[in-house]
Amino acid sequence: MNLGTRKILDNSFTAVGMGSIVVMALALLAVLTPIVYNGVGAVFFTGTIEHRTILYKEYGRGDAKTIETQTATAERYRGEAYRMLSDFEAEMEGMPFEASSRYRSQYAQVRAAMSSLLGPLPGDPTPMLTRFQYGQTRWEKAEEKLHEILYEKKWDYSDPTVMAKAFYVPRAEAFAGTMLAPLFGYLDRHLADMMQPEFTVYWGFFTDRSLDAHIFGGIWPEIQGTFFLAIGAMLFAFPLGVIAAVYFTEYAKEGFFTSILRSANSTLAGVPSIVFGLFGLAFFINTMKVSESKSVLAGSLTLAIMILPTIIRAAEEAILSVPKTYKEASLGLGSTKWNTIATVILPAALPGIITGGIISLGRAAGETAPIIFTAAVSVGSAIGIADVFSSPTPALSWNIYNLASEHEMACEIRHVQYGMVLSLVSIVLLLNLSAILLRAKISQKLKG
Amino acid sequence: MKRILLLLTVLLFASVDAGAVGGGVVIDGSTTVGPIAKSFAAYFKNRYGVGVTVSESGSGNGVKSLINGTCDIAAMSRAMKSREISAAATKGVNPIAHTIALDGIAIVVHPSNPVASLTRAQIAAIYEGRITSWAGVGGPNVRIVLVQRESNSGTQGSFGELVMGKGVRITRSAETHASNGAVKNRVSSTPGAIGFLGLGFVDGSVKVLAVNGVRPSLPAIRNGSYPVSRPLYMYTNGQPAGLVKQFIDFAGTAEGMRIVGELGFIAQ
Amino acid sequence: MTEEVKSDGKRSNAFVVSPQKRKMQKLAKNAGEALLLGIASFVAIIVLFIFYFVAVDAIPYFQLRGFTEFFTSTGWYPAGEPGEFGALAIIYGSAMVTLGSALLAVPMGIAAAVCLSDILPFSVRQYAKPVIEMLAAIPSVAFGFFALVILAPLLQSNGGPLLMWTWWVLAAPFLLLAVIVAADLLSARFAQEENRKKMALLLQSLFGILAVLVLYVVGTKLNAIEIITGTNALNVSIILSFMALPTIVSVAEDALQSVGRELREGSYALGATRAETLLKTVLPAASSGILAAVILGIMRALGETMVVWMASGNSSHIPDPWFNYLEAVRTLTATIAGDMGEADQVTGSARYHVLFAMGLLLLVISFFSNLVSERIVVRQRKILSGQ
Repeated sequence: MNLGTRKILDNSFTAVGMGSIVVMALALLAVLTPIVYNGVGAVFFTGTIEHRTILYKEYGRGDAKTIETQTATAERYRGEAYRMLSDFEAEMEGMPFEASSRYRSQYAQVRAAMSSLLGPLPGDPTPMLTRFQYGQTRWEKAEEKLHEILYEKKWDYSDPTVMAKAFYVPRAEAFAGTMLAPLFGYLDRHLADMMQPEFTVYWGFFTDRSLDAHIFGGIWPEIQGTFFLAIGAMLFAFPLGVIAAVYFTEYAKEGFFTSILRSANSTLAGVPSIVFGLFGLAFFINTMKVSESKSVLAGSLTLAIMILPTIIRAAEEAILSVPKTYKEASLGLGSTKWNTIATVILPAALPGIITGGIISLGRAAGETAPIIFTAAVSVGSAIGIADVFSSPTPALSWNIYNLASEHEMACEIRHVQYGMVLSLVSIVLLLNLSAILLRAKISQKLKG
Repeated sequence: MKRILLLLTVLLFASVDAGAVGGGVVIDGSTTVGPIAKSFAAYFKNRYGVGVTVSESGSGNGVKSLINGTCDIAAMSRAMKSREISAAATKGVNPIAHTIALDGIAIVVHPSNPVASLTRAQIAAIYEGRITSWAGVGGPNVRIVLVQRESNSGTQGSFGELVMGKGVRITRSAETHASNGAVKNRVSSTPGAIGFLGLGFVDGSVKVLAVNGVRPSLPAIRNGSYPVSRPLYMYTNGQPAGLVKQFIDFAGTAEGMRIVGELGFIAQ
Repeated sequence: MTEEVKSDGKRSNAFVVSPQKRKMQKLAKNAGEALLLGIASFVAIIVLFIFYFVAVDAIPYFQLRGFTEFFTSTGWYPAGEPGEFGALAIIYGSAMVTLGSALLAVPMGIAAAVCLSDILPFSVRQYAKPVIEMLAAIPSVAFGFFALVILAPLLQSNGGPLLMWTWWVLAAPFLLLAVIVAADLLSARFAQEENRKKMALLLQSLFGILAVLVLYVVGTKLNAIEIITGTNALNVSIILSFMALPTIVSVAEDALQSVGRELREGSYALGATRAETLLKTVLPAASSGILAAVILGIMRALGETMVVWMASGNSSHIPDPWFNYLEAVRTLTATIAGDMGEADQVTGSARYHVLFAMGLLLLVISFFSNLVSERIVVRQRKILSGQ
């Protein structure tokens, strides 16, 4: 092979390596960008008057005066639209049956879309479900609904041997010549007046309970559940892990028994997370009966054994990285071994140990599979700290799955799902970032 | 470091304040009955301040929880099997059924699909894997994508019983989804798809097929002319009392029936 | 003066210990060490417990139904009357997505590890590492959400063009390289010294046309593919490869770094380029460690639940044809997560226990893979350090 070719090969080899790293960075970017972009939309968005009304009525927040004046303005514009509806209804009454039945089903669609846009129409009974008691809370959804009112989506089924194509027909055409005809132009012109859109920053998304199965409100119960589970897991795993690490580094004599223990540790680290869930169900709930059924306690215990190997490994590394001279100096001064460990080695290794702990905390917060059978429920109120021994809890990780693939209105509440994913990812990544920074600090310190 | 610990402590205690009632009524079971249970739960929370926990883990899981005594009410989209009842008896649990609503199982396809009606035999043949293209039932030559539910679903069980019949199995290549909502999403995003779901979940994003020429509607289900319908149950251990009784009875009140109706089910 | 005496006295107190007290101290020390040992063996006890409790609930299944059906039948009708519990298609699905993710992640992971350990300067490496750590830290459910909500619709609506572009981007540079190398090798072998350049040019243009033809034909074929369902084995394989990458990279990088500088310098001294040094000297020397990295990465993909549950489509069949990654599949982990809802725990039927049997299968596989990878790493360390 000539030199030129070898050089090209060498360069392309470098390019493949760099390319792989770039692909990884792109993968990270591709996953994070939509999550961050859409997730931020759960908190920062253009909210309508309906959003402010819900906040005021259900959570007691907001300025009553402003909401009142805005509602009054909105109602004035809405009143005009409602008047057109009732005029048309009266007109339909007067029509012969054949003529009116031509409009009936179309009109029912218009009414349904209107009440979904604006909330229950005057004369309708107040719906029982919160989701039907209010109109659209987000401006972009309101615009979608408007489109639904203005245009009818139709499918061309004329040829049964091909899949139909969708086309839109302006409803104004269908109602041409009736008293409803001006409604469509009116809605189009005055949507903003009726909905009073305003740029909204809804911090309550993180601190409010959810309303009507997450259709309105925030995700506090899930955030809290995630913290309970993760911190609970740490309470069990952290002390155990650190003590085990001390044993491995300071006391264990190399031999068959120790190598078995080490193997056990790496085996535990490799157990698939769903198997932890099975074990948690079979052992903690069915055998030990730590709680009657799913509970935060059972979930925390399951997560604890899952993160234990990580903590042990991190603590071992931290202890081993403490300079030998520290230990020798302490022992040389006549301190006992145990005393040396407690007062010299552990404090020096603490930052490293805590780094491992923080990473494990993030892992515990993000895991789903171990808590499916042991701790998670789809809907529930935030639980008190006294209930952790007996109550299951909603948690971010589980509810992301639940809302995205089991919720009856999964497509309509994408913003909540994104908000949840963003919250979970930020919790986990912030924990990891702080661990990375902490580690950088330590290595700087060790370098001197 | 200390700051982080402090922050965590603060968070922990902040959550103590936010803690609300965790007890109250516990419901477990069907995802089909889920919306009813969740809406009743929201109503009870608002009205009486009673916390109601709803887990939607499938009808089968509901039975399990009821027998284990870990839930007060098992929400089910099918009747309890005799095996389950005898298992309950050995544990001293006496399950009593309360019908809370009627539900039709809608057979849905993508709105672009020109097929508007199928016979029960055709649906069975499609799900058995004997018809694999829509051309086989007079539609376009597009591969049929079968969408079914997880095996623990009551809807799946009812569909098997009411449409497939005894001993006939759904083909293995059918995709499995965890809930009615997931089936709806799947069908509404896939032109060749066919799926089945509780009538309450149907909206404009999917096209409902008539079965044997009958479209699922309130009167058609009430009078039984729509062939794929079933009652929805809530099971309790023995005759309910107290809060649980109040909860079960709520389905029969005017307000309860209105909630059921608004959700798209048929009140009793 | 007085102070010194005082402190002296104290010190002597500390050193002169009565035999009784010494005995007590020794006892306390032994008790303490025993306690430490107890806590350290806790992990081993947990591992035993996991095996025991999963097995205890798995064995009744095999007692009820035997082994044959589970491993050889593809009929998975757990709710049927009578039920069928053939897990072959599900095991196959697990294997398929694991293999798919390995095909994507292993070459990329090794290339990235080589890049990190030998090519990038330290300053750049510092920024690349956190990227890998963040990729490792993202919760699996977030990946699952991405796969279900973003990647699946994208594959379904634009699958063909997407495949075509990926093919172009990946294959074009490699084909170009292959053309250059092939032309060079052939001309070196068959042409005389003075004709070599001409011959190489001729071959290059000949192979070049061929390569463009291949690129174009395959590209159009891919472009014409219509992906019927976006939740399929391909989708899951892509996402799982993202998740396996960090493990592979970090373990492989450790293995590469443990290969000493001497080996590299020796190779350079013999006139090898960096690529040749790495490919012919360093990678073979680190091969066992890299194998361990691959095993660990594969285990990460095999054991993952949420992504496959949300985005694999969950249909328990062997795709037709068997390598069709564009069809929905079902995996062991997703089956455990999704099927656990059934009641038969109480009635003790095969339905409940079969899921534990699947868990046991996963557990056994992960146990042996770990054992193997651990042995490999230990052996390599011994060879490299002690020789």
